[in-house]
Amino acid sequence: MNRLPLLWRIAANMATMAVLAFLVAPILAVIPASFNKASFIYLPPKEWSVLWYGRFFDDAEWLRALMNSLKLAALATLVAAPVGTLAALGLTRAGRRLALVSSGVFLAPMVVPIIIVAVSIYRSALDVGMNGSLLALVLSHAVLALPFVVINVGISLRGVNPAWPLAAAGLGAGPWRIFRTVTMPVILPGIAGGAVFSFMTSFDEAVLTIFLADHSTTTLPVKLWETVRLEFTPVLAVAAVVMIGLSVALFILGQALARRNGEKA
Amino acid sequence: MTETTGLALGLRALTKRYGPVTALEPTDLDIGAGEFLTLLGPSGSGKTTLLNLIAGYTEPSGGTIRIGARDVTRTPARHRNIGMVFQSYALFPHMTVAQNLAYGLEARRVPKAEIARRVEAALALMQLEGYGNRGVQQMSGGQQQRVAVARALVIEPDVLLMDEPLGALDRQLRRQVQVELRRLHLKHGRTTIYVTHDQEEALVLSDRIAVMGKGRIQQLGSAAELYARPANSFIAGFIGESNLPEARVTSVAGGMALADIPALGLSIEAPVVPGVAPGAPARLMIRPEHLRLLPDAGEGQDAGEGIGARIIEVIYLGELTQFGLETSRGAFLVARGMEGRGLRQGDTVRLGWSPRDVLIVPDTGP
Amino acid sequence: MSGRRRLEVLTLLAPALILTLVVFVLPLMRFMALAFTAPDGAFATFATLAESPVYRRVMLNSFVIAAVVTAITAALAWPLAYMLARVRGVWFTLMIYGVLFPLWISILVRTYSWMLLLERNGPVNRAIQAAGLSDTPLPLLFNHTGVLIGMVHVLLPYMVLPLYGAMRAIDPRLMQASDGLGAGLWQSFRRIWLPLSLPGLAGGATFVFLLSLGFYITPALLGGKTSIMLPTLIVAFITEQFNWPMAAAASITLLAAVTALMLVATRFLKLDRGMFAR
Repeated sequence: MNRLPLLWRIAANMATMAVLAFLVAPILAVIPASFNKASFIYLPPKEWSVLWYGRFFDDAEWLRALMNSLKLAALATLVAAPVGTLAALGLTRAGRRLALVSSGVFLAPMVVPIIIVAVSIYRSALDVGMNGSLLALVLSHAVLALPFVVINVGISLRGVNPAWPLAAAGLGAGPWRIFRTVTMPVILPGIAGGAVFSFMTSFDEAVLTIFLADHSTTTLPVKLWETVRLEFTPVLAVAAVVMIGLSVALFILGQALARRNGEKA
Repeated sequence: MTETTGLALGLRALTKRYGPVTALEPTDLDIGAGEFLTLLGPSGSGKTTLLNLIAGYTEPSGGTIRIGARDVTRTPARHRNIGMVFQSYALFPHMTVAQNLAYGLEARRVPKAEIARRVEAALALMQLEGYGNRGVQQMSGGQQQRVAVARALVIEPDVLLMDEPLGALDRQLRRQVQVELRRLHLKHGRTTIYVTHDQEEALVLSDRIAVMGKGRIQQLGSAAELYARPANSFIAGFIGESNLPEARVTSVAGGMALADIPALGLSIEAPVVPGVAPGAPARLMIRPEHLRLLPDAGEGQDAGEGIGARIIEVIYLGELTQFGLETSRGAFLVARGMEGRGLRQGDTVRLGWSPRDVLIVPDTGP
Repeated sequence: MSGRRRLEVLTLLAPALILTLVVFVLPLMRFMALAFTAPDGAFATFATLAESPVYRRVMLNSFVIAAVVTAITAALAWPLAYMLARVRGVWFTLMIYGVLFPLWISILVRTYSWMLLLERNGPVNRAIQAAGLSDTPLPLLFNHTGVLIGMVHVLLPYMVLPLYGAMRAIDPRLMQASDGLGAGLWQSFRRIWLPLSLPGLAGGATFVFLLSLGFYITPALLGGKTSIMLPTLIVAFITEQFNWPMAAAASITLLAAVTALMLVATRFLKLDRGMFAR
């Protein structure tokens, strides 16, 4: 492969750089946009300022949306992480057919187009009078996050050598002690990684939440969605930067956990 | 070693079937206290099944298992007090060496101070002093192997089981560890069942060897017994090497048989083992070291006429030389010895052997 | 024993199964059943969908946009995946993070970014004018162009990753062997590299096409009246016409298309090695 002609190599490198730039650069455009001083966005800003950060954090509605997002993501993770971990443990012990059917059920919310998931849950929430309720949001976000936990924990369970539980049993350990001392420590990074994915999934979720949230439970992405066509001030860019900041932090955490998970596996 | 002060382990009609497949035919086996017994056999012979049944990792389809006076047939693995050394060692990767060793003692709720004392003693026994706080993944393969043995021994098991514990080591290290394991057994004196497919390992380590094949114990005995009087052609070929030409037995009397050997074109009288009968398939066992090469001109002294053969292969093995031979009837034989240094590929020789060095054994098929 | 084991397995699976069944499967079934509750007959909704030229255009639109997005992402992903499979060390880390990072950013944020970039007086238009490619600002937003740019950007990682996976699995010694057997560069590429990377391409294309069909946020924000896709139509049935049966019928149509494509894709993914590797 190394004998690719020089011209081709240069072309391939440049194409790669261009595509990478196309992937990353547009996302970063909101960062300078958020530092505009003017009341409309101009890129790059003619005058720089943190004015609109102040506006964002002074605005009770934006703040409430942010807090709602964090609370919802945390609660959905609290549901999805343990439920998904148990499910992953069950899948490794289940017979082939049960495992196939169950994992099909768990993964279905990932495969069905999100818009269909959204309007389906919206309709049922309307019918039982739970529309706009935090419970409905938490449970539906947990369903969307569940596959990530099941997959992550499933991967880390592959790192558990089948001989370890046998060895532990041979040394006199009962099932609970084996889980606590052998299985759990090995899959912990996988559970944590799944929890990070859960949190992220819920925090970034927009489509389902657009339908399901009401004024009091609205989240940051939904608030962004609602105002994006009405408002042209940089406060939206600030909201976007806040979301990016949180995503980056979780991305770094997720990568660190994934690496630990990979080492154990 | 064989200070058989009592019965450590007794199996009666122990059987394992998976649906229509029988992994272990009904098997009886008694192992004396302090004995080192090896289950030797190729893969699929049932040796690992037998080990897992004894350890309690597999439930038997029938029969009983006793450890000392206890019937443990239905006892879960964790209450059997058996020490197991896995082929992969199965060391817990997230624990230190000392934590691995302490694991079984903690499960038994041994007091902390005693755990520390016994872990230290086990580390010393395995010459692992000072390694207690190491992570197991920082240890070399040989060290991990010793940690695995230490972890199994520290719980003072009634029986020590070892499943191909040297399989992951390279050849040179394996020889060294064999000797160490032998010495170690003399020190701790625990009843040990050792599974391997390597006959050399079995010969070095064991008091007795149970050769397994096709889901049953084919023969049980000391290394010397198995080598000198193999019960059938399977064992003759598995313990040491053998030339095994077909033998057509015409009569058996007083431990001797008359047989035609078509591949060599002669009839001989030779000792037999039980199970050889006229008409039943049988083979003549001639060990390579018992086959003598005589210059073509000379007369075979022991074997009467001697058989003409051509050397088609000469392999120098250091102190010994191995010859591949083709008889005038087209049969292929192997001879090995210190003589015949001057012989070359293509030379013709006459073959001879002493009648008391050969044996006719039942043919178990390929 | 095996009865106890079964009970243990079911206990472990039960919370997740109940959660998914109650919150996802049951609502999905209830919603889809609405398609057959229209006052003028059980299948009237589907008949309307099939007969109305407007709805037919929307459906055609959806598939055309999905196909174009798939083709563009494939073309862009190819060099990137190729380089990813070849480089090592820091460059690899930088590049793979470049691919993974966008996946962690909310689609809404990514789409909003493009709204800022593509607007009439945005940096893209100014660059085009500065380069002398056009005298007047180009309409890049609220039409097909905006939708395509946004969707390609969001979906590109889903094409790169499977393609990279397939390319990395190609043993570099195969190309050396092909070289050693006297094959030229082009021939080695066509006979070895291309067929062995095709499963990745097929996987990525399936992914991207399916996700495109179900996209809502990006077309809704970057598209205009002419670029309405199925999800937008479904939402319009509910929020503008309060016509749940029609929304359900359109959803069933979308889901049926997605399912059929997935079945074909799994078929194709198994066959392709035999089809292309001569």
